[in-house]
Amino acid sequence: MGKGFARTMAACVRYSAVAAVALLAGCATHDTGATEVWDPLEVPNRFIFSINQAVDVIAIRPVAVLYRDWMPKPAQRGVHNVVENLGEPVTAINDVVQGNAHQAATSMARFLVNSTIGVAGLFDVASSFGLKKSDNDAGQTIGYYAGVEPENGGFYIMLPLIGPSNARDAVGLVADASIDPFGIAIYSLSGSTAYWIYAGTRYGTTVIDTRTRTMTALDDLERNSVDYYAALRSAYTQRRAELIRQKREKTDSRAELERRDNLALVR
Amino acid sequence: MPSFAPRRTILRLAVGAGTMAVAVSGLVTAASGQASADQSPAAQLIQKTAAEVIELIKAKTGAAREAGIRQVLETDFDLDYMGRSALGTHWNKATPEQRERFLKAAASAEAHAYAERFGQYGGQTLTVGRVTTRANGTSVVDSKLNQSNGEPIAIQWEVRNEGQGPRIVDVKIEGVSMVMTRRSDFNSYIQNHGGKVEPLIDELEARAKH
Repeated sequence: MGKGFARTMAACVRYSAVAAVALLAGCATHDTGATEVWDPLEVPNRFIFSINQAVDVIAIRPVAVLYRDWMPKPAQRGVHNVVENLGEPVTAINDVVQGNAHQAATSMARFLVNSTIGVAGLFDVASSFGLKKSDNDAGQTIGYYAGVEPENGGFYIMLPLIGPSNARDAVGLVADASIDPFGIAIYSLSGSTAYWIYAGTRYGTTVIDTRTRTMTALDDLERNSVDYYAALRSAYTQRRAELIRQKREKTDSRAELERRDNLALVR
Repeated sequence: MPSFAPRRTILRLAVGAGTMAVAVSGLVTAASGQASADQSPAAQLIQKTAAEVIELIKAKTGAAREAGIRQVLETDFDLDYMGRSALGTHWNKATPEQRERFLKAAASAEAHAYAERFGQYGGQTLTVGRVTTRANGTSVVDSKLNQSNGEPIAIQWEVRNEGQGPRIVDVKIEGVSMVMTRRSDFNSYIQNHGGKVEPLIDELEARAKH
């Protein structure tokens, strides 16, 4: 990650303004084809789900509530920005693998700007430069190339301490972790102890940040469903499918034009 | 080794779910005017619904608010259609009496849920965008829920006209359909209760009481 890296990023900055335009979320007008999610492991999944729920009630949610109510808002935003910023390189790699150079450029430009001017990612300066945040990961990359309905991510699986996933996204998680430049750098420079400290800290921070931000939505889903496990399974599958659809449509020039028309309308 | 990776999954889920929550409160949002040049009946319906809900939240609280929301749901949403699709294949197996009870209980549950969500209204605005019409006559209205902090949330409204004017039949928040989620939820509950609709209706009725 030496000079070549920096050069790429410099090039990225040029493209990023153009790319930012293309970013607003698309609008899939398809019917979500998924009737029921394939869940052959439902019994063990429900068991793990109940453990996850217990851990959440005892440990994670209370901490998230304290964090939400007592940590000053600007600090919360800062933490969120740092976590997001650390994810930008992996996002950019996935953008590249999906053949979306503009998006990759934007993600790298964001990383460059926020890591420097944004003080190690604490401030999301890039957004105010028009470099819009986007989301990408290896699960989406697999879905992008899989050639099946994006609702079909293989069997559904409830991961301990992580939550809902499926075969596609679980493989994606491992892939993303193994290409994380910070993980690789820390592991090769300082060894495995340092790596686990880094990974653990990052994971813990992410969990609290994410839990805080999803509190309203998850509480709502839980309260207003008769089978929370099933409702969550459906919502997760639909959400992931939507993200993959957007990635697929981005390479479709007609969809892209429509998106711009739409953008013009909205603005 | 991938112990920090979870962040992404959770995040996604979070985004989806968060979206759902916010989106839910999204209904609430004001329709900001300059948005759509497109004044199709479907787009107008969304604007009108948003305006009504906001008005309601500002003017009323508690039981009065819930009753008001219920009324908006009944006039602007096709609750029977939504209930039918949420029950899916089990609809055909239900007796007329069960169907009636189910629709009534489901409507109460929805009204209660929406009233609660709108209680968290924080001044977001709804910008209505493009309207697409599908082959089956359903219009899809794109909109963005603009938040004071953070990214706007994409909300799609499915509008159908069954002869009584356009009505909303589904709300999709960042790709997550309320009806679809409800259907999975109900379907799973029914399967885990001997494949019968009766326990679901009982459960919904019990929940509607408070």
